[in-house]
Amino acid sequence: MRAHVRPGGVNAREVRSILSTAQPRTAGWVWGVVFGVLAALSTVALLATSAFLITRAAEQPPILYLSMAVVGVRAFALGRAFFRYLERLASHDAAFRQLETVRVDLLKRLIPLAPDGLGRTRRGSLLSSLVSDVDELQNLPLRVVQPLLTSVGVAAIAVWVVALLSPTAAVGLAVALVAAFGIGIVVAGSVAASAERTLAPKRAALLDALLDYLGSIDVLIAYGAEEAGREKVTAADRNLTRALTARSLGAGIAAAALSLFSGLAVAWSLVAGIPALSETGSGGLSGPGLAVIVLVPLAVFEVVASVPLAVSAWRQVRSSAQRIARVAPNEAPTEIACRGGSSERMPDPAAPAIDLSAVAARWPGATVPALSVPSFSVRRGERVLIEGASGAGKTTLAHVLVRFLEYSGSYRLFGQDVRELPVETVRGVVGLCEQIPYLFDESVRQNLLFARETATDADLLDVLDRVGLGRWVADRGGLDARVGERGSLVSGGQAQRIALARALLRDFPVIVFDEPTANVEADLAEALLEDLLRASSDHTVVLISHGDIPAGLVDRRVSVIDGILVEAGSLPA
Amino acid sequence: MSARWFLVSGAAIGVATTACILAFAWLLTGCITGAIDGRPLGELLPQVGILVVVALVRAVLVYAQELVAARGAARVKSELRLGVLDAVRRLGPAWLAEQNSSRVATLLGRGMDALDDYFSKYLPQLILTVIVTPVIVLVILLNDPISAAFILVTLPLIPIFMILIGLATQSVQRRQWTILGDLSSGFVDTLGGLATLKIFGRERRQVDRMRSITRDYRTQTMRVLRVSFLSSFALELAASLSVALVAVSIGLRLVDGSMGLSVGLFVLLLAPEAFLPLRQVGTNFHAAAEGVAAAEDAFEVLDLAKERPADAAALAAQADAASGTLTLTAVSVDYGNGPVLAPVSGEFPIGTVTVIVGASGAGKSSLLGAILGFAPHTGTIALDGTTILSSAHERPWLAWTGQRPSLVVGSVADNVALGAEMDPERVRSALDLAAAPEISPELAVGVAGAGLSGGQAQRVGIARAIYRSLDRGCSVVLLDEPSSALDTRTESALLDGLRVLADSGIAVVVVSHRRAVIERADAVLTVEPRVLAGAP
Repeated sequence: MRAHVRPGGVNAREVRSILSTAQPRTAGWVWGVVFGVLAALSTVALLATSAFLITRAAEQPPILYLSMAVVGVRAFALGRAFFRYLERLASHDAAFRQLETVRVDLLKRLIPLAPDGLGRTRRGSLLSSLVSDVDELQNLPLRVVQPLLTSVGVAAIAVWVVALLSPTAAVGLAVALVAAFGIGIVVAGSVAASAERTLAPKRAALLDALLDYLGSIDVLIAYGAEEAGREKVTAADRNLTRALTARSLGAGIAAAALSLFSGLAVAWSLVAGIPALSETGSGGLSGPGLAVIVLVPLAVFEVVASVPLAVSAWRQVRSSAQRIARVAPNEAPTEIACRGGSSERMPDPAAPAIDLSAVAARWPGATVPALSVPSFSVRRGERVLIEGASGAGKTTLAHVLVRFLEYSGSYRLFGQDVRELPVETVRGVVGLCEQIPYLFDESVRQNLLFARETATDADLLDVLDRVGLGRWVADRGGLDARVGERGSLVSGGQAQRIALARALLRDFPVIVFDEPTANVEADLAEALLEDLLRASSDHTVVLISHGDIPAGLVDRRVSVIDGILVEAGSLPA
Repeated sequence: MSARWFLVSGAAIGVATTACILAFAWLLTGCITGAIDGRPLGELLPQVGILVVVALVRAVLVYAQELVAARGAARVKSELRLGVLDAVRRLGPAWLAEQNSSRVATLLGRGMDALDDYFSKYLPQLILTVIVTPVIVLVILLNDPISAAFILVTLPLIPIFMILIGLATQSVQRRQWTILGDLSSGFVDTLGGLATLKIFGRERRQVDRMRSITRDYRTQTMRVLRVSFLSSFALELAASLSVALVAVSIGLRLVDGSMGLSVGLFVLLLAPEAFLPLRQVGTNFHAAAEGVAAAEDAFEVLDLAKERPADAAALAAQADAASGTLTLTAVSVDYGNGPVLAPVSGEFPIGTVTVIVGASGAGKSSLLGAILGFAPHTGTIALDGTTILSSAHERPWLAWTGQRPSLVVGSVADNVALGAEMDPERVRSALDLAAAPEISPELAVGVAGAGLSGGQAQRVGIARAIYRSLDRGCSVVLLDEPSSALDTRTESALLDGLRVLADSGIAVVVVSHRRAVIERADAVLTVEPRVLAGAP
């Protein structure tokens, strides 16, 4: 999938700041780490005390001398499972608490950007991948930081305990652990890096080939090009499979190294420990002591096995953070309007509703203006149609009018310079019915209420009646009817009517319709336009449309041709 | 094929691993007891040397297992993917249209990656469970029947516990997951509707709402997790407690002298190994479930395709002429639930422009599907009196473009000359006839027509049909809503182009609602929905 990428690289500081929001620093999180270390220590201690118990018992001391070891074995066995359970609860709870911060932070970054700073195409897939990247950030505390802290902590404690019994064995264990850590991090890191480098583009190529083939299979068949199309998919699959097979050579190195070093540490402990058995005094080692220093490495390496996994998890977390930083930078691009003035002057009722002169606007990342307006004005109560081919710049105009896009030149709203007004004030006057109105996965009522919270059910039913949805909502069982995910239970025309109902509830003095019939069956389009314009008859209306519309619906027509707005003369009302 | 190879090599590695585990434990026991008995290092050094060799072999086996897993996964994924692709072709575009093609693409792309963990984590451990565990339990049994009894009692408890806990918590879990789904879609919903929220000045309040949604999400998730973690708690507890029981019982028997140290130590080292593969299977159960689900989706498609015979025989028998007059006699479409449109009859003479009209949902697209062979029909579709078979294959006499232009990745010229030899001059004239004189043939087209506006993509699709009709001498050009994304001026230019095309000896058939199109057509064919008796 090719996400829309903003030009320019990723700012390393932003990536760091995103990663830092993802890492909890609460007491709950610290408890999680503590429980994790205790669980891992129990694993090591279970084996060590068992070995001690057995070798000491073989010396046949009075049973009293063994009772501590017996209690220890049982306690560590219980402790391992118990602490592990507590660790998982504490660390997951902390990670989910942190999710609150992460999501709110992301939302705050996105608010100034939406919608035009988020790329014009594939906004849907961009957002859904953003959501999964945010979820991925949770793995930073859970699968990266926690296992690394636990491994290092347990390894250090184990080396210390072994050092008390035999410093020579401890040195060997420490060397083996450092080597295993090093190889684990370096090898797992480079395997993951090569996967990112070589596999990711091949995976994306395969998905693109699949989408291409499946999305146009009817055309491919009808044009006799199906076999050639399928060959492209097969080739992409062959390419990926070959790369996967090549990469499999590196997959097992980290795990094999861990296994090998664990064996070597055990062997070294034998070599270091056996001569010490015969010594007496402070340098000497008892039989049970030998069993402990020989077996502890086995258990420690079991704990350390999580290090390579943590390294590859880190890679994924980091690329998620990079994607987030790329899509949602802290600084909005200059083409996006986010700063308004603070003027509180009253509007001039005699001035034109909208008055543009020498206005130009660009989309983020574009070098040439998408729209230039030498002069354009709309009288109060007037209904103006803006025609033009798709891609000519009509939507750019709509987005300038509601201050989604920054502009140069002069834009006056009821006589006031828009730049001096707070952005919220402008959006209170000019309302937009989007080309694809967004419907929340809630009831019809919830989808209307946010436009005017104080509205009663009677108000809502009344406004639905005005936009021609009275029958529809009654058939669906009233205001509690759901609209489905992204409005999947609602047709394009019904969505437009709901959007207008919201605009009427908010009572915007100026309503801009952006291609209301673009996603409506052609035979229903005319009736929809008539209904929309009738329902908004006491408002100032700017209607944007590519197609022909019946005469008499609007007072005046202007055209946008190749990004330039031209007045086409007035038509009789 | 790959699956069997994978199982065989997995089993071989499993047997070798078992041997290594036993050898390592035995050698280690020998070294420790030997040293305690007072043998000097020099005498034990050969044993330590063999121990190192065994560790080396074990490391090689670990490596081999991961290698086999990675290769096996790559091969099986590729085989499954290409098999499903074959099945999709056999099931045809009509089936795919019901499925949502991006869902199928996800299944074949990322969906297959769910099999990675299945092959690298779950299956090898399952094989090890089958091979390692019984052998080790047997060896323990031969050395110390009492310890073996402990293990034999606790080992089956692990799956039993997991199943019991799973059953007990199933309904709670399912209820919670529904709530969780709602809460997590709340986040997606807020992000998706951000522009709408800004229009209504509600974006700031969403921050608080997001906070409370996420808080609910956490409380609900933790409620689920508290229960789900219980099953792994039971797993760990059973494994570590039974090791503890074995150790204590060995210890007590060593004290009273009824057992030797070497046997005790050997059994102690082996006991955790008996549980390890089973514990890994339990830990990776979730990953396995995802892999199985992905594989099941793929197998479903394969099974479905098996029910439909390949239409190779039908294709061989069919030798469509390249030109002629298309006639429909009482044609309707039936997907198996009765006809969806009232029978249509009509003729499309060469040199004319015919427009097909009908309300939305009347079945116009289904009728086109029947002509293309994508939808099963009743009645007769004939070219110069020869009946055309209903199967999804290329029709040499037909050039068509649908409501969605379905452009492929490449240049505009690649798309216009799809399935034919590239002739740059012809590409240019096809684009001109399709009212797209401003579109450069070199322009790149991305996935799903990226890089072109809706109107541009639509006209490239039309130019593709025109190119084919010029190249192959097709007698029928079929266009579905060709001007829906065009402004009136471009539409009028397109209609001029279609008239030129018709005059050159082609029957042009257009499905459209647009007034301008209907006004300039030579004939109008109306499609009406099938009225079902008693339907509301």
